[in-house]
Amino acid sequence: MPDNWSFVLAAYGLAAVVLLGYWRMLARREKDLEGQSAPPSGSGQITPGSHTTSAKAGERSHASSIAGHPRSAPASRHPLQ
Amino acid sequence: MIRVLGVVTVVALAAGLVAGLGLAPREATQGNVQRIMYLHVPSVWVAYLAFAVVFVASIAYLAKRADAADRLAHASAEVGVVFTGITIATGSIWGKPTWGIWWTWDARLTSVSILFVMYLGYLLLRGMIEDRERGARYAAVLGIVAAFNIPLVHFSVIWWRTLHQPPSLMKPGPAMPRVIVTALLVNFVAFSLLYAYFVAKRVHLLQLEAEAAS
Repeated sequence: MPDNWSFVLAAYGLAAVVLLGYWRMLARREKDLEGQSAPPSGSGQITPGSHTTSAKAGERSHASSIAGHPRSAPASRHPLQ
Repeated sequence: MIRVLGVVTVVALAAGLVAGLGLAPREATQGNVQRIMYLHVPSVWVAYLAFAVVFVASIAYLAKRADAADRLAHASAEVGVVFTGITIATGSIWGKPTWGIWWTWDARLTSVSILFVMYLGYLLLRGMIEDRERGARYAAVLGIVAAFNIPLVHFSVIWWRTLHQPPSLMKPGPAMPRVIVTALLVNFVAFSLLYAYFVAKRVHLLQLEAEAAS
């Protein structure tokens, strides 16, 4: 009987393509979802559970207070202000 | 942990490839095309294993309503469908040079096709129902019912006259040469590790999806 190596290669090649394709699909979706769940870096937003210790975030927060309206001290604010 | 499992799996698959394509001898009657066996048989083993896990996890979900069991059943069904597809495709490629045809509706090929379609339906059902709790419940019932097809697939070559050969490993009579059995076992281990890796990755992905949805 002839060896039919082409059939052997076709079977192994097809299996490799399917398995690598499935692995790649899982890895890509995992990366997308992990990117969604991670907090946006360098946005300067301070959330209750997060610690923004980067100098960049601090600078941005300070700069916005200077560029925007002057802030009054919290104790001097009227409740409706 | 998943990454370590992935590395071990790649090493095992490489060993399986060397054993199947290099170390195992050329088969006397079929020639080298018989080497497809080292891919085809472990694939169907993983499909059986995956659907057996779906069966057990579905019972566990219905009994305890644990989300972990539902995620395991979902992940295992998906991986099982992938390996059943590989089994059918590689079997067809093997069939052409040995039987002279790509496909025939004999008992083994028909029953494994029904198995494939049933679990495709299982995945479609999960995707169709928006209420997650209800979808998981319906899928668990289908996961239990569909598993009864597994013994039908396996014993079809014994119960009916088929073109497909009967079981080679667990049969009475002369045993296969030790080198062939060893190469097959290496591939069984490699494919089982690949199954565990894919399921672990898919379960993790389902957890992330659930977190993103909530």
